[in-house]
Amino acid sequence: MEIDSEKSLCRALCAYNSMDEVFEIQKEMYRGQQYSHLYFARLHLMRTLLYSLVSQWKPHLPVCTVLGLEEGKECIIVGTLFKHMKLKPCILDEYSKERSKTPLVKPHNFMHPDDHLILEDESGRVKLSGDLISPSVYITGIVVAIHGKETGAGDFLVLDVLEAGLPPQIELPLKSREDKYVVFVSGLSVGSSNCNPLQFQLFIDHITGHLGDEKEQILASQIAHVVIAGNSVEFHREVLNGQNLAAKDLSRLSEPIKELDILLNQIAVGLPLDIMPGPRDPANYSLPQQPLHRCLFPGSSAYNTFRSCTNPHCFELDNIRFLGTSGQNIDDLDKYSDAKDKLEFMERTLRWRHLAPTAPNTLGCYPFTDRDPFFLESCPHVYFVGNQDKYETRVIKGSEGQLVRLICVPKFNETGVAVMLNLRDLECHALSFGTQFSS
Amino acid sequence: MASVSGNMKGFYRQRKANKSSSKSSKKSTSHAPDVTLSSSPKDDVNEHEEMLRQFDMDMAYGPCIGMTRLARWERAHKLGLNPPAEIEKLVKGGKVQADCLWDGRI
Repeated sequence: MEIDSEKSLCRALCAYNSMDEVFEIQKEMYRGQQYSHLYFARLHLMRTLLYSLVSQWKPHLPVCTVLGLEEGKECIIVGTLFKHMKLKPCILDEYSKERSKTPLVKPHNFMHPDDHLILEDESGRVKLSGDLISPSVYITGIVVAIHGKETGAGDFLVLDVLEAGLPPQIELPLKSREDKYVVFVSGLSVGSSNCNPLQFQLFIDHITGHLGDEKEQILASQIAHVVIAGNSVEFHREVLNGQNLAAKDLSRLSEPIKELDILLNQIAVGLPLDIMPGPRDPANYSLPQQPLHRCLFPGSSAYNTFRSCTNPHCFELDNIRFLGTSGQNIDDLDKYSDAKDKLEFMERTLRWRHLAPTAPNTLGCYPFTDRDPFFLESCPHVYFVGNQDKYETRVIKGSEGQLVRLICVPKFNETGVAVMLNLRDLECHALSFGTQFSS
Repeated sequence: MASVSGNMKGFYRQRKANKSSSKSSKKSTSHAPDVTLSSSPKDDVNEHEEMLRQFDMDMAYGPCIGMTRLARWERAHKLGLNPPAEIEKLVKGGKVQADCLWDGRI
């Protein structure tokens, strides 16, 4: 149809640079190691960083270890936080004799007024007290520096808290260029009962420029990249019962992914596409999730525009750095801490300099021995999280002039909303698709 | 069938026997110097083993279970903890046990 119009439109192009190596599991070998290695690596990385910040923060105070604390003496300690939670589900509860003693869990999360924080390092652990540090904000697994003193009761009275803060950021490339857009979409759930194929087809036709008049096609031609942030398919899980599958069930099981391949094929023909695995996709469960296998997409993977990526996913477009997950890290924070919106959780993970602090405590994670891939060494310009309930966005500023665009990408099959980001000024808007017509 | 199951059993038994024998040999080596002090070459190896065990138990270099001594040394080196160079020489020499003190015991 575009051929009919006199001038032909050119698709905008971007220089793409994948930075997923840190999230790839290749040479790692499981030798029976436990998660202590990951916590050791995290504590060491973060402590080195915090020690350098402490010397500017409060240079007059001595730095102690937990074992070296003296009663009444003010000092700074650095360690990993552990949040003791009464309502946190525990596998051993089933076997405990006082089963009915624990109160019932609230519907939305596992918080309880009795929760308290404990700070740990290699030498020991100490309970934190005082009103300055609120257990509802903090979470197990983050590393902080704390100024305070030991009280007579053996607690550590918190007087001040230092978080690592936003990591340093590479300079944003110069502005004043043409408009180029990146589209984020997540939670397509192809194959689920409430999936509306027409809605996603409309989305595809829109971004590939098969819909609308010339003005709309010009807009579509400015889309340079598409990111699918997890939960692209929904399986009929009731078929999986541990028994061998009948041929009929096998085809039923692979139906959604075949359908997805056909749909993605239409996008990959026209523009570059990154697909990340999510918690309900046929990938490994624990973070970092490895790319969906190319064999799953025989049609789309024939195109070099189609990239199957890890979750978390980090990449650069025209030297603008993107970092995103399919939502597991933020959903887990929502279960074990409180904030006014999802963006605040995202902001916290950046300020704590850790993408998934609750891994491995309550979030599945590979037992790395010599590194912590979720430690943030540099600050992204765009930080997105998929599979959220609604579209939200905000820009946050760091103390050293860092600017980060935070985006919550909603579930497409429930809301019909995709997110468009302009690379020129990092402005963001929602792209809504509806197929319901009121009579 | 019988031979297969016999093999399987043998396989498991062998592993167990291996472990217990290595355990007992370790025990004997740790006890032997107390009883018979001599400057045999075997004793020399024990000295090395003693040094490596000290390295295993040094919490500054992090937990030791689930990784080889060399991997642990390399991690410590990468994190800038200055692990002793002799340990690297010993482990790379290949004449000593590659796994840590607790390997297979817990």
